[in-house]
Amino acid sequence: MSVERTVTIVPEAGLHARPAAAFVEAVNDYEAEVTAGQPGDDLVQAGSMIAVTSLGVGEGDELRLVADGPDAEAVLDELEDILTTPEEELSA
Amino acid sequence: MTDAIQQDDIDELLPASHVSLAEPPAQKEACIEHLLDLLVDAGRVEDRQTALDALLAREEQTTTGVGMGIGIPHAKTDAVSRPSLAFTRSEEGVDFGSMDGEPATLVFLILVPEEGGEDHLSILSSLSRSLMHDDVRERLHEADDEAAVRDTLREALA
Repeated sequence: MSVERTVTIVPEAGLHARPAAAFVEAVNDYEAEVTAGQPGDDLVQAGSMIAVTSLGVGEGDELRLVADGPDAEAVLDELEDILTTPEEELSA
Repeated sequence: MTDAIQQDDIDELLPASHVSLAEPPAQKEACIEHLLDLLVDAGRVEDRQTALDALLAREEQTTTGVGMGIGIPHAKTDAVSRPSLAFTRSEEGVDFGSMDGEPATLVFLILVPEEGGEDHLSILSSLSRSLMHDDVRERLHEADDEAAVRDTLREALA
């Protein structure tokens, strides 16, 4: 069963650079298929950096996340954490 | 949602002089300098060192190798007064340290003025979206000349 969540992006540079790398790495760390997209738009593979870059998600934009798999809730918790942490507080 | 690049913008962003179809240097930093020099030679860059520092600072945060054989080094810098794009391709591949481990064979460089707001995100996302299509990547690899590269991008970004 898939779970989903919509999160507002906090990092000033948007889902870009370090937050984007942390996001893609987190997706690949869990046993779950995750797709992402701005509400109303098509969803893309969240574990692909080029796909995430293609979203062009800026600060204050909303991002819809859909996860499917044994770790679905856990991966969404971590992704929400990354998306709502200011970049300067993100651990490298 | 950021705006897609307008069709006519390719002529402004990427004149033929910003395209190099010769094999670039195999090292990432040298490849970035090679692309930067296309923009310097075209008169787009007022301060080469400032632009290079900004590009390398961005690479330090995390690589711009986005996978699928694509590298998109980019920076916001006042070393340019308007958004500029450069392109090269590599047969050998340039190691961008991307997460999927694929060396970059299509490399784009984007420079946008500091006050350009979200211009760089918009160019970056439009370019990434078009490069996810297999046929666009194939056409860029097979392009015989600079005009074919620009035609491909003009269509892909439209």
